[in-house]
Amino acid sequence: MDTKSKVKDVLANLLKVKNEELKDEVTLINSIGVDSTEMVESVIALEKAFGVKLSPKEITKNSTINDIVNNIEPKLAK
Amino acid sequence: MQKIAITGIGVVSPSGIGKRQFWANIKSGRSFIKEITRFDASLYPSRIAGQIDDLEKYSHISERLLKKIDAFSHMALVAAEMALQDAGIDIKNEDPNLVGIFLGNAIGGWLYAETELRDLYLEGREGVSPYMASAWFPAAPQGQVSIYYGIKGFSKTVVSDRASSSMALGYARKVLAKNKLNMILGGGMEAPVSPYALLCCNTYGTLSKNNKDPQAAYRPFDQNRSGFVIGEGAGIVVMESIKRAQGRGANILGLISGYGTTCDGVDRINCAGDGKELARAVKLALDDAKAAPEEIGYISLDGLAVELWDNSEIKALELVFGNNLKQIPVSCPKSMFGNLLGASGALDMIIALLAMEHNLVPPTLNLDKPAQNSLNYVAREAQEHKINKALIISRGRGGINSVLVVEKA
Repeated sequence: MDTKSKVKDVLANLLKVKNEELKDEVTLINSIGVDSTEMVESVIALEKAFGVKLSPKEITKNSTINDIVNNIEPKLAK
Repeated sequence: MQKIAITGIGVVSPSGIGKRQFWANIKSGRSFIKEITRFDASLYPSRIAGQIDDLEKYSHISERLLKKIDAFSHMALVAAEMALQDAGIDIKNEDPNLVGIFLGNAIGGWLYAETELRDLYLEGREGVSPYMASAWFPAAPQGQVSIYYGIKGFSKTVVSDRASSSMALGYARKVLAKNKLNMILGGGMEAPVSPYALLCCNTYGTLSKNNKDPQAAYRPFDQNRSGFVIGEGAGIVVMESIKRAQGRGANILGLISGYGTTCDGVDRINCAGDGKELARAVKLALDDAKAAPEEIGYISLDGLAVELWDNSEIKALELVFGNNLKQIPVSCPKSMFGNLLGASGALDMIIALLAMEHNLVPPTLNLDKPAQNSLNYVAREAQEHKINKALIISRGRGGINSVLVVEKA
């Protein structure tokens, strides 16, 4: 599975939304109206799923799915 | 003080969800006390309760929200929606600044809290849901109802043990009487059927241990009483001024006309044995309602099924009602579904409203041989009786007394 599909699966599962609601180029706040607590949870879930360290400053309500993927992928390469 | 109209009822209880189903079960005198099956309660001295197993069927709450809240908030959200529907109110048409929420709760959302605390110790701080902070505390349901409907007016959660929701309703009525708000969602919710909450309730020491015969366990005022049984649920009503209710052509289900509250101030756990402070609360409520004792057509008893509490409740009523007491039918309907602790007063008031509407006194279960014969008990079966005004008694640990008077519109 590619990184993007996995990110979407993790978030959809965690936040109980549909995969289609998570758009590549739309921010999380604008697509699914994510709140700050959901963001804390999302960062932890993504860290666990990918085995990487992510900071809440890197992934925010204003991140798009593409932003998240671009953040995670370089860390996976290391 | 102004009387306040009740125009919508929402009830989530072991005896049914929604007022129709609830009242059908209450009037038929069926018990809904069962052995606890949600978790392994086999080592608890008392392992019976009134439980709700089918809330999802009636729920309009998304999975996304459900994972952030405890069962007691879920119950409150369902009860609030039912109350609004029953009142014919679309909250979008209300001024959100003039709608309030007044709820009572005693113990908070322990099912959520204890699961997350377990994870804290097993997995460390990252194992704990970030929603824990906003899910467990007693005012969480108030917050969730407020967020769900965008309600922004003056609101409160009252925490005063089993008297919580009765006090919340009394407080709500006072706020409406001062014309500070247009309408209030008032009532309470409780979810004590979880391992830790049940442990705390057991430690309190007055739960019935008659696990062999759950339906016969809760026997208020009976010679063979053995303590009370817990239950879970929520009761929420729509409250507004009579003028506003009439203006929008609402069906007024009853009026809250009196409220009185006092404290015994003698012990951390027990009430006072003389009933004097409870009697004073009853008098305050009657005076507030401008009702003479003989006008009361039904008394809803607190009925803890503990000798000291039952006897002091009788003493208080004797002090206020004197020779009239034998004329007034009394009952303790919570013997059918359990004591909903912080939500018990709201459920009792809802039952009293339905009893007035149908002129039918709901029964006390298991009251086969009254320990004292000084009251006109309605036991086993509902009894027809014209009720224009009813008195509802709620009492909390250590002797918190809270009394409401309701009457026909």
